[in-house]
Amino acid sequence: MNLFVVICLCIGFLFLLGGTVGIIRMPDFYTRLHPAGKLDTLGLFAMVSGLAVYNLHHFSFGALLLSVKMMLIVFFVFHSIPTATHAIVDAGMRAGLSPLTRKKPSQLQGTGEK
Amino acid sequence: MKLLSLIVVCLTGGLLLYGTADLPDWGDPNAPASLHLSNYYIENAVRDTQVPNLVTAVLADYRSVDTMFETAVVFCAGLACFLLLRDFTPKKDHYYRHVPTGVILHVKNPDRQVIVGNEFEDIDKEWLPPDTIIKTVCRMLIPFIQIYALYVVAHGDFSPGGGFQGGVIFGSSLILLAISYNLKYLLKRVSEKFLGILSAAGVLVYMGIGVVAMVLGGNFLDYEKYAPIFGEHHIRALGMLGVEIGVGMAVTAVMVIIYINIVSEGKHDEGL
Repeated sequence: MNLFVVICLCIGFLFLLGGTVGIIRMPDFYTRLHPAGKLDTLGLFAMVSGLAVYNLHHFSFGALLLSVKMMLIVFFVFHSIPTATHAIVDAGMRAGLSPLTRKKPSQLQGTGEK
Repeated sequence: MKLLSLIVVCLTGGLLLYGTADLPDWGDPNAPASLHLSNYYIENAVRDTQVPNLVTAVLADYRSVDTMFETAVVFCAGLACFLLLRDFTPKKDHYYRHVPTGVILHVKNPDRQVIVGNEFEDIDKEWLPPDTIIKTVCRMLIPFIQIYALYVVAHGDFSPGGGFQGGVIFGSSLILLAISYNLKYLLKRVSEKFLGILSAAGVLVYMGIGVVAMVLGGNFLDYEKYAPIFGEHHIRALGMLGVEIGVGMAVTAVMVIIYINIVSEGKHDEGL
């Protein structure tokens, strides 16, 4: 069981690290939202589920309740982070911010819808 | 006039800064607060109040009059926002959208309005297509946020939380409703009159608990005088719960009042 917890935490750590590096290194607004939205969600899922399993070490009703609460946090974050990312991208498109492509700026007319 | 107000603001700020010079240093072990007051609270709070959360015990019992006026300050903030920003002039331009075709009508004459029904809907100046993802997720999350807010209010004397925090969470759930749908939808659910009454009722609940304790023969906000009605067991925790509910009501209503007045510039018609 400890092995499972350690693996979960390591996976979560990797994803969160990748998300952080991605936010800093990605070239434009939309690509930055990609690691911010996806990797943080999965990293949080892996980390909190690892912690929830670790919490069940000394099994009791209280510990089980705490683990269920932790998984509830994951459940809500799983819904709210992608929705928030979706809303931000939507707002960016509506405001006319065109995504980064290899085309020249003159060819990008009309991609940012009004 | 602007210059005068600037001078007044600078003077007040300067006086406040001057006043802080006399305060003891941060974490000073010889300050009066850490010599007498904190020790007393830490040693006696659980015995006096039977409330495990010391912060709540200090805020809602030892210093409940202070917290009562904090609630009154929150109420005054909402009132000031209402009085300064609320604009009762009816708006001239109305926008309607014909639902089957998507044609948008702009009506400038306030006397001639389109009947809103199945065919036409009353829309904001800048119409955004309804976003199913955001609406669905927000509709799913809002009840959980509100239940959590009630939990934070009700659990304030056992774990971190209390009326202010719970009220802010509840208010933000209503603001989320306004963001994910629109302002009209929120105002249809929670009218302005209801919010005004709720914010005043919150302060009234707090003060009423204090006054009823006086009527029952104790000091102002002396929760132990409620023991003949509710029983001896955890009577102070119950009194704090009542007070926290009042705070939560006031804070919820004031949050929403400030939000709707600021985003719609007091017109209460459209906004974020």
